[in-house]
Order: sequence, then structure tokens, then C-alpha cells
Amino acid sequence: MSESDAPTRGDERISYRGPLKRLFISPEIGALIGAVVVWAFFWGNGDTFGTAGSTANFLDVAAPLGIMAIVVSLLMIGGEFDLSSGVITGATGVTIALMAKHFTADGAPLWLSVGAAFILCGCVGWWNGFLVNRTGLPSFIVTLGSFFVIKGANLVFAKRVNDKVNISDIDEADGFKFFKAVFAGENVFEGWRYRDQVFIIGGVIFAVLLIAGLVEQSLVRKVDRGALGFAASLAGLIAIAAGIIVLHRTDSVMGNWLGGVVGLAGTIVAVVSWSASQFETKPTLSGNLPSQARNLVLAGIVGGLVSAFAGQVFSRDERLEVRPWLPQWIVWVLAILGALYPAVLLVRQLRDKTSDRSAAVVAWLVLRLPVISLVALTLVVSALQLTTVQAVRTVVMTIAGTAAVVALYQARAIAGRTSTLWFRVIGSLTGVGFWLMAFAVRADAGAPRFRSGIFSVLLIAGALVVASTLVESRHLSRTRADERSDRLGKRLVLAGTSVGALALGQRLLFSDGVFRMSIFWWLFFTAVGSFVLTKTKYGNWVFAVGGNKDAARAVGVPADKVKTSLFMATSLMGCFVGTMILMRLNSVQAQQGDGQEFEYIIAAVVGGNLMTGGYGSVIGSSLGALIMAISKNGIPAARWNQDGRFIFLGVVLLVAVLVNNYVRRKANEQR
Amino acid sequence: MNMTAPLLELQDISKYFGNVTALEGISTKVFANQVTCVLGDNGAGKSTFIKIISGLHKPSKGKYLFEGAEVFLESPRDARDRGIATVYQDLAVAPLMSVWRNFFLGSEPTRRLGPIKQIDAKFSRATAKEEMLKLGIDVRDIDQPVGTLSGGERQSVAIARAVYFGAKVLILDEPTSALGVRQTELVLGFVRKAAERGLGVILITHNPQHALPVGDRFLLLNRGQSLGEFEKRDLTLERLVELMSGRVRAS
Repeated sequence: MSESDAPTRGDERISYRGPLKRLFISPEIGALIGAVVVWAFFWGNGDTFGTAGSTANFLDVAAPLGIMAIVVSLLMIGGEFDLSSGVITGATGVTIALMAKHFTADGAPLWLSVGAAFILCGCVGWWNGFLVNRTGLPSFIVTLGSFFVIKGANLVFAKRVNDKVNISDIDEADGFKFFKAVFAGENVFEGWRYRDQVFIIGGVIFAVLLIAGLVEQSLVRKVDRGALGFAASLAGLIAIAAGIIVLHRTDSVMGNWLGGVVGLAGTIVAVVSWSASQFETKPTLSGNLPSQARNLVLAGIVGGLVSAFAGQVFSRDERLEVRPWLPQWIVWVLAILGALYPAVLLVRQLRDKTSDRSAAVVAWLVLRLPVISLVALTLVVSALQLTTVQAVRTVVMTIAGTAAVVALYQARAIAGRTSTLWFRVIGSLTGVGFWLMAFAVRADAGAPRFRSGIFSVLLIAGALVVASTLVESRHLSRTRADERSDRLGKRLVLAGTSVGALALGQRLLFSDGVFRMSIFWWLFFTAVGSFVLTKTKYGNWVFAVGGNKDAARAVGVPADKVKTSLFMATSLMGCFVGTMILMRLNSVQAQQGDGQEFEYIIAAVVGGNLMTGGYGSVIGSSLGALIMAISKNGIPAARWNQDGRFIFLGVVLLVAVLVNNYVRRKANEQR
Repeated sequence: MNMTAPLLELQDISKYFGNVTALEGISTKVFANQVTCVLGDNGAGKSTFIKIISGLHKPSKGKYLFEGAEVFLESPRDARDRGIATVYQDLAVAPLMSVWRNFFLGSEPTRRLGPIKQIDAKFSRATAKEEMLKLGIDVRDIDQPVGTLSGGERQSVAIARAVYFGAKVLILDEPTSALGVRQTELVLGFVRKAAERGLGVILITHNPQHALPVGDRFLLLNRGQSLGEFEKRDLTLERLVELMSGRVRAS
């Protein structure tokens, strides 16, 4: 709200954003969408990626990262870093292993060694917090000191007591069985016959409740509701069910067509008629198409075409490598173009007569050149790292397709301000674009899972875009909070999300995968961390201490205690994870965990946590860890150059931070 | 006007930092239902003065009386527990936290969920909204980050919070210095409302145009010394400006 606005009344010029729309610009949702996109990307690219077994495997590998990302994000929200968080996992392993083998002649029982490790780590965390509070030094420096000390101690003690840096065979210690079961036990669940059916039904319920909740939150309720529209929406629902049954039962071309058309038409009818029966309509606008929107539509069409043709131009052969296949001159042309691009921009800036020349150039150089160079460099390097032509093909198709969708979506929004007709036309065009892409993918893909998976997702997405366009163009948006509707909408979405998550979970769980305890611990700590952060007094203090420490202290928050406890939580969790890894591997390297702390921090940042503190989410950082794990696993599965994963990680980090920044700015503007 | 007993009284307060004299022999009285303005140019000792009242500094000399009895404040927390609340201009809020979370920060109402205590969000939201309404601010959305509020509204969150948590004396440090014209009006309105609800308000400012319309009593500081206390009826804007600029000695 600007200074000129009287704050006493709601401003009718700003459309109301319900709690759900706000949810869509929250850190978790950004990370969730990122995780889904990255997952889908690799799922489409590697044959071994995405089966229940391999998912269970990579979740197990990712769990230490995920668990640590939770506490690291709490600490980050509280405004601090802990660079010793990685090496503390190694210290735990070394402590437990050394005590278990060398404490007395027979070694110590595990409960004693594990207890000692926890006490030791608690002390490290307390010391970190104490120093940061007492000296006021950046935690970066303080914990860097701890990092080196612990790293050195690990090596020294391992070598002195055990004569080598690798300590193995912990399973001879007393109580190993118990600790192994708790920290790294294996769980296999019997297969279940109906898991696919439950999954599909759950997915449909999820989609329906999500849409209903969103509509409920953003539109104005009618006073008298028509029964006709409600009946029509019921008919639509029945049509969806019929479509799904037909698709599931038959494999004939005619049957598929029939099922698809009936199901999609049913989706549109259900959404549109239900909202028509429940919500107020708004007057239509009859302006012209703004030129900006026109350009975006053109860009969208071009992007769609590029995406479609890329599938034809590039070979799908997994064995075909880029460099022999790509003529040398193209590499040169690309390099020269890449170098010329900033130069051209610079010249244009120089010829711009409107601003003071020297100052403008300096400003331009300072502000833009590093960014442009970085982006150009990343693009060139990552293009070279994509060793197979198939990989390049996927990247081009994905990027062009996504850009097309984004451009069309923007165009729709711009057109919607002046013209209802154009809003509908562009919205329908987007939907049709989705459908075309679906068929392009289907005709193109060799793997059967493409046909059932991405194809149907794209079809449904197209239908939803058309439906939402029709709904948005017809109905009046709310400008004020309506608590009843807000609550109802929130509950609908919450219920839908729970059903969807359960359906997905059971599909994954009742399979041939081996689920280690680490995965359940990860889920458990995510739930606990999220509850503590958002629902408790302490969580409130964490936000406040990171956001404005002096303000927090001024209202009586024990800021130093909060920080110390956060440091201790980080170290103790490092101890937990260290124990987990030790029980899993039955041995420990003294260098273990060294360098992991940056991965924890990256996961937290990718998950939408603000590096300067005061903002973020636990679920987000768990998802951030998931994104990193997916890419780590997906790249070898897609037979790309394994070393390329660092480039991928770097790009993901940059993109995530930029997107998060953008989202936060939007979140703060649109009120 | 309630002129019976002062809520807070300072007698002959001095503060020295080493060989620097920050304040010398300042006395004032703060009454309930009144706005006491502390005016002075930069370096006049305003901030040292409020730091003493709010318990951040201990006076080197002089008496601090609260509700008739002499007190020795140990810390800002001690002051707050007695009902002396300070709203600093920059320190008021955590900008990325929602309005209601800021409102109850440090004193979150909780309810039990089995063995676990959690914040009573429903009560907090409703109460924060209600208390803001009492000051005349209808927050569009109690869940929005405080950083998205205008400067005046941000101050109002802190003021409403202090009032709700039972402050008897409310100290406002330069609440209008970074605000535009309308926002200033708004904040001064909150200040008046807070005084009408029975608080003794101390308003620190260097702007006589802001002080004169809302103030009842005026304490003028210049280079660590008092230029005297004035009732509103004894002052005009011109006189106030002259006094503050130090061109005229108080008679």
C-alpha cells in the first residue's frame, strides 16, 4: 500500500488474494514445483530413474542431506550459518567407532558411545552459539574455526587411536542390532493389488478438491445458487469417471479417443458449470488486444513450434554423442555469437543519447556484465556437458515449451485487463497448445510410460487451462477477505493435498523397494521441524531473531538463548545423522561429511530460505534437498556426464535464488 | 485534564559518559491521558533521555519516580514489566513476519494440544485485528508481512501492541521522522487515541509542527540542558521554533 492510500478501507483496485493464492507464492510451493519439474525431467530421460526401487534407494541416500537441511534452514531463518554441520557427522562417526572399539580392551557398549557422541556434539553446538553471541562475530567465521578444529581432531584421533583413518566393523559392539534397527533398519512392504487404482482415484480427488478450493477462495459467492449448474457439474464429474474407466479398460485407438475426449470435456463442463452455479458473474470487457500481449502470443507460438520441431530435428538415439555429431563450425558460430551479444548490448547502450554516457556505461558494466557473462558461460558449459544428442533434445524441448507456456500465460493476463474475448481466445490457445504438445510427445516417445504419464498429464493440464480461463473471464474476483469461504477453500485444498500425498505414498510404499529407516526419520523431522517453526512460540522467536534481532529483544525474546539452541539443534542433528550413516555403513572415514555443509546450505536456499534470515520454511528445505538428490541420481540414470551434476547444481541454485527473490518481491507487492 | 498526580516523574536527571555530559539536570512530569512532547534539535540529548526512561541507561544523578515511588530500572524488560513501553522507530517490528505474529511476538498466547503447547493462532489473529481496529486501522489482511504495511501502519502495530499489553507509559521515539504528510497525520492520530485511552504518552520529536497539534506538555532540550517545560496554552508555533533553535532564552 502506498503512502497515499487511506488504510481504513480495503482498496478495490487490488484484487483480493486468498490464503491459497498466497500459498502459491510461498517458498514451499516454489520448491515443490521445482522438485516435480526436475523429477519429471529425469523420469522422462532415464529408463532406470523413477521406479519404486530406485526411488527408495535415492531417498535413502538423500535422507542425511534432507534431515540436515531441516535444522540448517532453521538456523538460517534464525540468521546464522554453521559451517561445522558437515564435519560434525564425521566427528560423531569417529567418536562412536573409536569408543566402541578402543574404550576398554573389549570396547564400550554402543549406548555409551552414542550417548557420549551426543553430549560432545551438544557441547560443540553450545560453544558455537556462545561464541557468536558473546563476540558478535559473524557465525561464518566462528563456525569455520570449529570446522577446522573438528576436521583436524577427526584425523588426529582416528590415526592415533586406530592407526588409520578408516574405522570399520562396529557391528562387534554391544547393542549394535538395536541401533542398526532404529537408525538404519530396512523395511520391505508387500505389494498391494489395488495400488494403481488407488493412486489414480487419489489423484483425481486431489485435482478436484484443489480446483474447488481455489475457486472458493478467489470468487464472490452468489446469493441464490442454481441447481441446474450443480447438476451439470455432477454430470461432468460422471463423464470424467467414465473417461478414466474407458481409458483404463481398453487399449483400442477408438476407445482411447472416446475416453480422452469424454473425460476432458467432462473436466471442463464440471469446473465451469459448478462455478457458474455458485459464483457471481462480472461484466465483459470489449477492448482491443494490447500490442504487448500480441508480441507475447507470437513469442508463445514460436516457442511452441521450436519445441515441436526440436523433437524432429534432433536424434533420439541415446548413444549419439554431441561433439562428433555437431559440426565444428556451429561451435565456432555459437562461441562468436555468445561473445558478440554483450558487445552488441554495450554498443546499443553507448548509442543511447538520452542518458549521461560515461556514467551510464559504467553502471551498465557494473550491473549487467557479470550477470550476462555468468548466464552465457553457464549455458555454453552446460550445453557442452550434455554429451548425448538426446539430452540436448530434451533440454531444448523443455525450455522452449516452458517459455511458450509462460509467454502465453502472461499474454492472457495482459489481454484480460482490456478484453474478455481475447482473454478467452489466448487461454484456449494455451490449452490447445498443451494438447498439441501432448500428441507430439506421444507420437515421439518410445518408452510406454511417456504415453500413459506425460501424455495424460499434458491433456489434463490443457483442459484445466481452458476451464480456468472460462471461469476467470466470467466471474467476479473477491476484493475482500471472506472468512467462511477462505476457511472452506483452505480445508478443501488441505484435504485434497492429503489425499493426493497418501495416494502417492501408498503407490511408492507397496512396491518392491527397500525403505530404510532414514526415510521415515526424514519425514518425521520434517513434520516436527515444520510444526515447531510455524506453530510454536519458539518458532515465532526463530523468525523474529533472524528478521530483526533488536526488535525481538526489545519485546522480550531471549535472542541469545534462541540462537544458542539453534546451534545446538544443528550439532545434535549432525550427531543423529552421523550415527545413522555409521549404522548404515558399519564403518567410518575420518574425512566423512567434509564439505557437506555447503550442500545443506544449498538445499536450504533452494528450498526458499532467505540467506539473511527471517524468512523460510522447513518443508521447503526438505524439498530443496529432494531436488538435489533427484539431480544427483537422475544424471547418471540419464547417461549424462556425471561430473555435469555440479554444473546442474550450480544452475539450480542460481535459478532457485532468482525465482525465490522474484516470488518474495511479488508476495510483498501484491497486497 | 487530569493534573492530580504524575504517572512518571524525573527529578534533576543527569547523565555523564566519561567526561561527556549528555544530560544535565532535566526534570519533567508525565501525566496519564496526556501527550508529553520532548523536543530538541539533533544532539540535544533526546535519545539519551528516552534511553534513561526506558531503562536502557541508568541515570548518573537524579531521581526516577514511577507512580509516586522511586524506582531503579534494571533493564528495558524491567521497565516493560512495570508498564513503561518504548516504540523505537526502526526496531519496532520484524518486517517479514505477519502482522499478528509481530503483534504477539514475545508474549504469544498458547493453547495445549495434548502435551504440546502451540500458538493460539485463531485468538491471536482475531485479537490483533480487533486491537488495530480500536486505534482506527483496518488491516486488510492480518496475515500479511508487516514489511508490506506503510510506515505509519507499521508504527501503529507497535503502538497497538504496547497498549494491548497494558502499558501505562508509552514512549515513542521519532515516530514521524520518516513519514509523509498523510502518514504523519495518521500516526499522530494513533498517539492521541492512545492518550485518550488513559496512557501517559511521551513523544520524542525534532519537528515542532508535528508536536504542537498533539502535545499537551512540552519539554524542550538543547545541548543536554532543559529549556523548560511548557503547557500547550503558553505556546505558539513561532515561539516553539524560536526556542528550539536556541535563539531565544526561555523566560
